[in-house]
Amino acid sequence: MNTKVILLVEDNPDDEALTVRALRKSKIVNEVVVARDGVEALEYLFGEGPHAGRNVSEMPQVVLLDLKLPKLDGLGVLRRLRADARTKLLPVVILTSSNEEQDRMTSYGLGANSYVRKPVDFEQFVDAALQLGLYWLVLNEPPRRSI
Amino acid sequence: MCTKDISGSRSFSLSKRGRAIRRAMGLASRLTTLAVACALLTSFLNGQQSRPSEYQVKAVYLFNFGRFVDWSAILPTAGDHAFAVCVIGADPFGRTLDSTLAGELIDKRKVVARRISRPQDAATCQVLFISSSEDSRLKDILPQIDKMKLLTVSDMPRFSVRGGMIQFVFDKDKIRFEVNLTNAERAGLNLSSELLKVAIAVKRNS
Amino acid sequence: MAKTKDYSITKKLTRMNMLVSGAALLMACLSFVIYDLFTFREAIARNLSIQARVAGSNSVTALVFSDPHSAEITLSALKAAPNVISAGIYSLNGQLFASYRRDAQAQLPPTISPDKARSRVFEDSDVIVTDPIVFQGKPTGIVYIRSDLQMLYIQLRRYASIAACVLAVSLWTALMLSSMFGRSITDPIVHLADVAFIVSRDKNYTVRATPPSGRDEISTLIASFNGMLGQIEVRDAALQSAQNQLEQRVDERTFQLAAANEELESFSYSVSHDLRSPLRTIDGFSHALLEDCADRLDDTGRTHLNRIRAATQRMGLLIDDLLNLSRLSRTEMHTQSVDISALASAIANGLQEGLPRRGVELRIRNGLRTLGDPGLLRVVLENLLGNAWKFTSTHESALIEFGAAVSNGKAAFFVRDDGAGFDPAYADRLFGAFQRLHSMTEFAGTGIGLATVQRIVRRHGGEIWAESAVGRGATFYFTLGEPAFEGALP
Repeated sequence: MNTKVILLVEDNPDDEALTVRALRKSKIVNEVVVARDGVEALEYLFGEGPHAGRNVSEMPQVVLLDLKLPKLDGLGVLRRLRADARTKLLPVVILTSSNEEQDRMTSYGLGANSYVRKPVDFEQFVDAALQLGLYWLVLNEPPRRSI
Repeated sequence: MCTKDISGSRSFSLSKRGRAIRRAMGLASRLTTLAVACALLTSFLNGQQSRPSEYQVKAVYLFNFGRFVDWSAILPTAGDHAFAVCVIGADPFGRTLDSTLAGELIDKRKVVARRISRPQDAATCQVLFISSSEDSRLKDILPQIDKMKLLTVSDMPRFSVRGGMIQFVFDKDKIRFEVNLTNAERAGLNLSSELLKVAIAVKRNS
Repeated sequence: MAKTKDYSITKKLTRMNMLVSGAALLMACLSFVIYDLFTFREAIARNLSIQARVAGSNSVTALVFSDPHSAEITLSALKAAPNVISAGIYSLNGQLFASYRRDAQAQLPPTISPDKARSRVFEDSDVIVTDPIVFQGKPTGIVYIRSDLQMLYIQLRRYASIAACVLAVSLWTALMLSSMFGRSITDPIVHLADVAFIVSRDKNYTVRATPPSGRDEISTLIASFNGMLGQIEVRDAALQSAQNQLEQRVDERTFQLAAANEELESFSYSVSHDLRSPLRTIDGFSHALLEDCADRLDDTGRTHLNRIRAATQRMGLLIDDLLNLSRLSRTEMHTQSVDISALASAIANGLQEGLPRRGVELRIRNGLRTLGDPGLLRVVLENLLGNAWKFTSTHESALIEFGAAVSNGKAAFFVRDDGAGFDPAYADRLFGAFQRLHSMTEFAGTGIGLATVQRIVRRHGGEIWAESAVGRGATFYFTLGEPAFEGALP
């Protein structure tokens, strides 16, 4: 059982489906938890609301965070994550279709670990997912080991 | 009398200073030249006619006396009659008188010279020169011409006190004349005061 | 010492009046005096003639009877006339006969030639009169009198002093009157001058000149002056209000512009997200369809789906390019000195690394610098060199150059390749957005590159143009405004 969880924060069900598909195609079989908006993401991470009772010491290996989210947007989530000691060092990859410099800079400024654009071409997407997976799940050493 | 014109006609066109200088120079040169000339000329001119003779002068005076008498009351206004200057007695003038009177006019009348021998002939004379040759006959002549309105002139001595009007006299070397005004007035002659001015003496009978 | 032409007009007017009056008076006085003196002189001469004649006629007998003494007595009567300097009676032959001398140095000519018997001469400030003495029609002698013009001079002096007094009094009166009445003319003018000076110096257009009484040219001048000042004030006010309006409008426009830009920003932002997202879905699920339903799809189906995918991807590129283009128009330009040669070299090397090919000769001219925004210039060169790379890709060997030259009479940078080239007949469509002169199958591209380049070049105040022949490569020239080059021209 692979306990390395990927938290995917994405509101668009199509994009969610495609992202999961891309991950699977890249032979990444880790559990993918999906949060539909920023609030849900935080609730999951901090074990609040519908996710109350979750073992918050078990943080995901990596968070794939879209920027454009309803309720609380990606940057807001990032801010909250970095403000909380529990999630301060949590690896966050901004996965977005925005190419705006402003977004990139702000993201890094708020403590994102990586910024990846979602390509339109699906094959490129699969490729990107593969590289992401390889890196963040295999190569990268997370700040906290979960059992 | 020695006069010579030594260039002086231009002297009065110079400045005062120029004139003074010129005068000084002129004076000196004049004196010298004068002395020389006089010496030379005196010998030349003695006996020449350039200096008038006594009777030349007297002839001129004789003529001129006539000019200074107012004849308007005496002579008729119609000027046909000539103005006669007569000489009675020995004629001391000669041709001089004629040449002096030639062409002259008195009162617009032609002046002629006449010689008469008898006092009666003086009726047509205006001026009568009584020659000194008639000295002894004077007291006869004068009464005869008493009524005639004529001017008597003579150079015989004491003419003016013996009834004559104008007497020639010598004043040094100059020929002058005396006038007896009473005698002239008695004859009805009006003598010009100008004439009297130049007379050496003007006498009146007392 | 003040120059005459710098005197105040009051002084000038007074001076003029004085001069005029003085001149007029002087001329009048002079004419009268001269005329008077002339007639006076004539009178003196005539008087002298009479005296001469009298003396002459009184000397007739003296001459005729050779009595100089008598003549001298006659002449001595002239003592009574103090102006007589000397007098003389001359006999007919011109010899001096009798004389009178006022004092010892009085001059008398010794002879007078008979043809000069009648004369009147002004000589050495004396007057000399000679007159023939004729008695009863007969010339008898010549009389000569010389008189000084003392009386004349006394008269002249008298006149001069009178004239001087009159002149002085008149000039003084003229001065007074001129000052009094001249004031009425010059005061308003001087006042106007002062006001004008103040207005000009202080740029204060609210002052006005006081109008004088009366309705002459001066009052017209002052009224017009005031009118002009009023007009200036009105115009100034109008200008000011116009300026204010303009500024207000500018502020409004700037605000609107900022708002528009902001809108555009958020628009591009949403576009970059919102437009791409569906595209991704279309492409992704088309791919999924291809994979998951491969056995149920025939070739036609697969072709259709591939076409869908291709179009979708292309649209993504187009969106990206458009977004880039709009961004480029909005970003601030940071103009600085740029080593454009180094930039070109870096980009060319990048191309070589990214899309390696053999047989490409790169000739980059060194040492060219220019003023411009480095980021934007990078985009320009990336596009131009990228194009050169692309359009020579079908050739075995290629030559790509970057340098500077003079074209169309202008000094410009250029990027040249010996690749496919384009038909110069369609050159006018070259820089249109999404305009392409080659088909998709020949060369890839959205057709936005050159539009971008042109926009950047234009933002720098420059121009871009191209020369080409089909199959013989193309040269793209561009300038970056004045001065395009730093340093000496190549």
